[in-house]
Amino acid sequence: MMSMKMNKLIGAIAASALLSGAVYAESIGYITKSATNSGWMMINQGAADAAKEAGVDLITVGPTFQGDLSSQLEVFENLLAQGIKAIAIAPVDSSGIAPAVKDAMDAGVAVVAIDTGVNGAAVTSFVATDNYAVAKVQGAYAATLVNDGDAIVYVTGNQAQSTGQERRNGFTEAFKTARPNSEILEVPTEWNSAQAQEGVEAILNARNDIKMVANAWDGGTMGAKAAMENLGLSAGDVLLVGFDGATDAVEAMEAGWVHADTAQMLYQMGYQGIKAAVDASNGKTVSARIDTGFFLVTPTTAQAYKDLVGIK
Amino acid sequence: MLGSFIIGEEMNVLSLQDKAITHLVSFFRKEWSGALLAILILSIAIEMVTSGKPFFHPTNIMTILNNSAAIGVVAGGMTLVILAAGIDLSVGAVMGMVAAVTGYIASYWGLPPGIAIFCGLALGGLIGAIHGSLIAYLGMPAFIVTLAGLSVWRGSAHLSTGAQATPKLPATFDLFGRYNPFAGLREQFQAGELSGLMESLGGFVDANWMGFFRTFQMSMIIFIVFFILLAVVVSNMRLGRYIYAIGSNEQGSRQAGINTRLYTLYTYVLCSMGAAFGALLFLGRAPYAKSDYGQMWELNAIAAVVIGGTSLFGGRGTVIGTFMGVVLIKLINNGLTLAQLETFWQMVVTGLIILVAVGIDIVRQSKSAVKVQQMLGVVAIVLALFAALTPLSALISSLISLHEHNSMVAMQQAGANMVSYHYVRLLDEVGVLNLHTIISGTWMISLALLALVAGAVVTVVKLHKTLSFAMGGIFVVSALALIASDMAAAAPLLILGAFAMAGLPTVPYMFERARALDSANG
Repeated sequence: MMSMKMNKLIGAIAASALLSGAVYAESIGYITKSATNSGWMMINQGAADAAKEAGVDLITVGPTFQGDLSSQLEVFENLLAQGIKAIAIAPVDSSGIAPAVKDAMDAGVAVVAIDTGVNGAAVTSFVATDNYAVAKVQGAYAATLVNDGDAIVYVTGNQAQSTGQERRNGFTEAFKTARPNSEILEVPTEWNSAQAQEGVEAILNARNDIKMVANAWDGGTMGAKAAMENLGLSAGDVLLVGFDGATDAVEAMEAGWVHADTAQMLYQMGYQGIKAAVDASNGKTVSARIDTGFFLVTPTTAQAYKDLVGIK
Repeated sequence: MLGSFIIGEEMNVLSLQDKAITHLVSFFRKEWSGALLAILILSIAIEMVTSGKPFFHPTNIMTILNNSAAIGVVAGGMTLVILAAGIDLSVGAVMGMVAAVTGYIASYWGLPPGIAIFCGLALGGLIGAIHGSLIAYLGMPAFIVTLAGLSVWRGSAHLSTGAQATPKLPATFDLFGRYNPFAGLREQFQAGELSGLMESLGGFVDANWMGFFRTFQMSMIIFIVFFILLAVVVSNMRLGRYIYAIGSNEQGSRQAGINTRLYTLYTYVLCSMGAAFGALLFLGRAPYAKSDYGQMWELNAIAAVVIGGTSLFGGRGTVIGTFMGVVLIKLINNGLTLAQLETFWQMVVTGLIILVAVGIDIVRQSKSAVKVQQMLGVVAIVLALFAALTPLSALISSLISLHEHNSMVAMQQAGANMVSYHYVRLLDEVGVLNLHTIISGTWMISLALLALVAGAVVTVVKLHKTLSFAMGGIFVVSALALIASDMAAAAPLLILGAFAMAGLPTVPYMFERARALDSANG
C-alpha cells in the first residue's frame, strides 16, 4: 500500500512538473482508469507488484475523475515527452486515445493496453479479460437461474466504451439465445453505482414480475442490492448476478443476495500488463493478446475463488 | 382551450374567462412555473409511452422523492449561495468527504453513530467556514475558492479513507433514508400483537403495503420537511431577507447597514452543511460509505437551482423552485428508465427538457405577448419535428448506410488498404435491397412532415392570425394522415401541435385582458 502511495505521489509530480529532461528511461508509465474503484485497486496492486518484482519504477497516474479522456491524453503525451520506454494504459475511451497511441508506437515506445482495448491503432500487447466471451458465460449461466418468459433487468456499463458494449452484447446474446421469450429491461449507467441503485429501484418498484438483476460490473451489483434493501426485499427475492468478482459482491453472495458472478482475474490483469510492458521495453517479444481469463463464482465455488485471489 | 371562450358575450362566461386569465397570469408570475410546467408535460408524456407501467402510481412518485432527498438537500443549500450571488462548486466533494468520514468513524472506529453523524455535520460546517472566510473576508472569487475546494476535499476524502468502501453501516443510518415508519406497525400486525384501533390501522397498512406504504420512507419525509423549513427561513427571517439584499445589490446592502461579509459567510457554511446533511441522507440508502460519492453533484445541484427559476446572478429565485428543479431532474431519470428509452437518447432528451424548463422561465420574464407566441410556435415546431423523427430517422440512416456501402465499394475497387472494421460498412445484397425498401416507403411522408415543420416556422415568423388557424387545421389533417399510414403513435404530438398553433392568436388578447383586469383591480 505504502509503495503504491509513493508511486502515486511520484506520478503526480511527473504529471504536473514535466519540465526536466529524460529522467524516466528506466521507468514504466502506468495510466490507470481509477484509483478509487475497488476492482481497479486490485488491478493497480498487481501492476505495482509486477514492477517491484522487475525492479523498475512505476509511474502511476490516474485521471481526476473516472472517464476523463482529456486528462488521460495529457498525461500520456507528457510521459512520451519525458522519453519513457513503455506505457501501460487503461484507456477511458477506446477510440479517443488511438491517435496518441499511434504516435507513441511510431516513436518506438511500447504501449500495453490493459482492460480496455484501443480502437483504431495497433498496440504492443492487449492484456485483458475477453469481456465479450466472459459476458456470454455470464448470460448463459444467468439464463439457467430463471425460466423462459421471466422478466429481468440488466444494468449496463458506459455504452460509449468497448468494455461496456462487449459486456452488454455478450450477456444479451447468450441470455436471449437460452431464454428467447424473456424481457430484458435496461438500466443505463456510466459505471456509477448510484445510477444503478436508482434505476433498479424505479423498475423493481414499478414491476413486481422481475426475477433477476444482472449487472455489467459489481458496483452495479451493490447498487442493485441497496435498491432491494430500500424496497424492503430480502436476499433471494430477486436474484442478483454480478461481473468482476469484487470482494463485497462475493461477501453478498455468501449472505444469499448474489447468485452468480463472473470474476475477472483483476490482479493478474495488472500484473501481466506491467510484465508485458517491462519485457517489451527490454526488447523481448510479447504476445499481442494476453487473455487473463475468468472465474465463474457461484455459491459452491465461492470459497475456491476466495482462496485463489486471497480474499479473507 | 381558452380560445373557445372568446366568442362568449354573456356576463358569467366572461367572468369565467377573466378568472382563468387571472389564474394563468398569477401562475406564470411564480418563479417556479417553468419547472412545474416541465414536470407536468414530462409526466404526461412518459405516462403515455409507458403502457401498463405505473408512472403516476403513488409508490413511484414516492420513489422519485426518496431518491431526490440527498441531492435535494444539497441543492437547497446551494440555493442560498446562489441567491446571494455566489457559487459553490465544492458541494459534491464535500458530500463525498462527509459520507466517507462519517461512515469510516461509524464502522472502522466503532464509535456510536450519533458521534459519527455529529462529526460529519461539524466537518461540513468547518469546510463551509473556510470557504466563506476566504470569499467574504479575503475577497477571493467564490468560483476559484470552491473549485479549489472541489479538488482539495475530494483528494482529502480519498486520502483519509484509503478510497476503500466501508462495511455495511449501523442501522441508525437507515433513519436518514430507507427506514419506513410504518414497517414496525406492519410487523406487529403480522405477528398478531395488536388489538383494537391499532389492529385495524395495522391491517390497513398491511393491505396497502405494496400499493402505497412500502416506499413511504424517511428520505422523502426529511426532504419535504427540510424544504418547508428552508422556505420559511428564507421568506420570513432576517437571514433570508439579507441574502436577497446581498444578491441583488451588495454595495447597497452594506450601506444600508447589513454585515454583508458575515451573511455571505453564513451562506457558505449553510451550503456545506447542506452538503454534509445530503451525505447522511445518501448513506441512508447506499450500500456502504465511500469517498467517491457525489461526483458531478455540483453540476446537478446548480442545474436544479437554475431550472427552478433562480437567477445565477443572485437576488431572484425561490427555495420551492429548487425543490421543483430537483424533482424534475430525478423524474427525468426515473421516467426515461421506466420508458426504456435508449441510453444515448436519454442524454439528448435530458438536455432538451432542461432547455424547455429554462426557456419557459425566460419567456415568462420577458412579459411580452410576441415572445409567448414565439414560444408556443416553437413548441408546435418541436412537436412536428418529433412526429417527423420516426420516418425521417429511418430514411436518413438508410440513405447514410447506402452511401457508406457505395463509397466502401468504390474504395475497394480503387484498391485502398482497409482495416478489418471498415468492412462492417459493407452490406450484402439483401441488406441493400432492404434499405431501398425503407427509402421508398418513407420519403414521401418524411417530406410531407418536413413541409409541415417549414409551414410552422413561417407561421412563427409572420405571427399572422389566419395563417395560424390554417396551420392548426393542417396539423390535424397531418395527424389523420399519420394514423392512416400506420404511424398512429406520433399523431397525438401533431394534435397537441394543432392546439399550440390555433392558440397563437389568442395570446395578445389574453395579455390585453390581463392588463385591463390588473388596472381595474389596482
